[in-house]
Amino acid sequence: MNIFELKLWDDEGQRCTFYTVQWDGDSVNETDKFFTKYENEPEYEETVQELLSFVLYTIGEDHGAVDALFNRFENEVTGLPVQGKIRLGEFTYHYPQFSLRLYALKITEEIVVLFGGGIKDGPTNQTSSLNMKWVEACGFARKITDAQRDGLIMIDEYNRTLTNHLGGDEIIL
Amino acid sequence: MRSKVAERILAKTPEDIKIFARLYGDLVVKIHSILKEKGYSQKLLAEKLDKKPSEIHKWLSGEHNFTLRSIAKLQAELGETLLEVPGLQKQRNFQHTYGKTTFKVYVNKTKPQLKPDWKNEVFFETQNDLADVG
Repeated sequence: MNIFELKLWDDEGQRCTFYTVQWDGDSVNETDKFFTKYENEPEYEETVQELLSFVLYTIGEDHGAVDALFNRFENEVTGLPVQGKIRLGEFTYHYPQFSLRLYALKITEEIVVLFGGGIKDGPTNQTSSLNMKWVEACGFARKITDAQRDGLIMIDEYNRTLTNHLGGDEIIL
Repeated sequence: MRSKVAERILAKTPEDIKIFARLYGDLVVKIHSILKEKGYSQKLLAEKLDKKPSEIHKWLSGEHNFTLRSIAKLQAELGETLLEVPGLQKQRNFQHTYGKTTFKVYVNKTKPQLKPDWKNEVFFETQNDLADVG
């Protein structure tokens, strides 16, 4: 009960490795659940593509989890994407009114844990339909932060990975 | 290793969306980095650009539309290139002397050279400011 595993989600980027969490007994991790849920909904298909591109290219490949891109602080977690809006020529891209949120925990600029997320359809997380996912993400983040503080999770900066206290890659919390 | 779900979505993602994500990130990170490096506060930048601090805050926190005009103003004030068009040289040295404008034209070296190298650097002198169109 309430046991989850920290699992590698993507380590192909030049700048950042992404982990995810998977409940014990569940066959799918929380980040895959999030993306799978919205990828085939016409209303969110492009939003999902923008968010995934931001995660894998902007953070993973180009910059890492630098502060300038991790600026949507929401208690223990950070909401992605970055707050922002840009207009290039005739195209306007709206990150402030971005309808999806994916929650994340920055371990270092090179290691990030991704959780789940949902639709931000209210002015606050508490009044949005994603509230439960946000609360759940904060719970994951607290447990991971505590485990890191207690030495149950170690950061291998050279290999850009997380390990358990024995140096293995199986991290169950 | 990459999540199969991520792979599947990326395969369906149009190139312009990927390009935007990278351009946007580059711009945000670059501006923050220059401000930090030069020790600019948002208030100081606002004074230099003759803007309200709240407006600069909106630029940097993303609540404002970046336009080519605002990027140009930022680039002029910060003194560093924020955006450039590939294939064109960064260096555009304009020197105003006694009403004359002198500028150098650099030729893209990746293109076939039709003239000897010494002709690639051309100096123009004009008597009016209209030549300063760079």
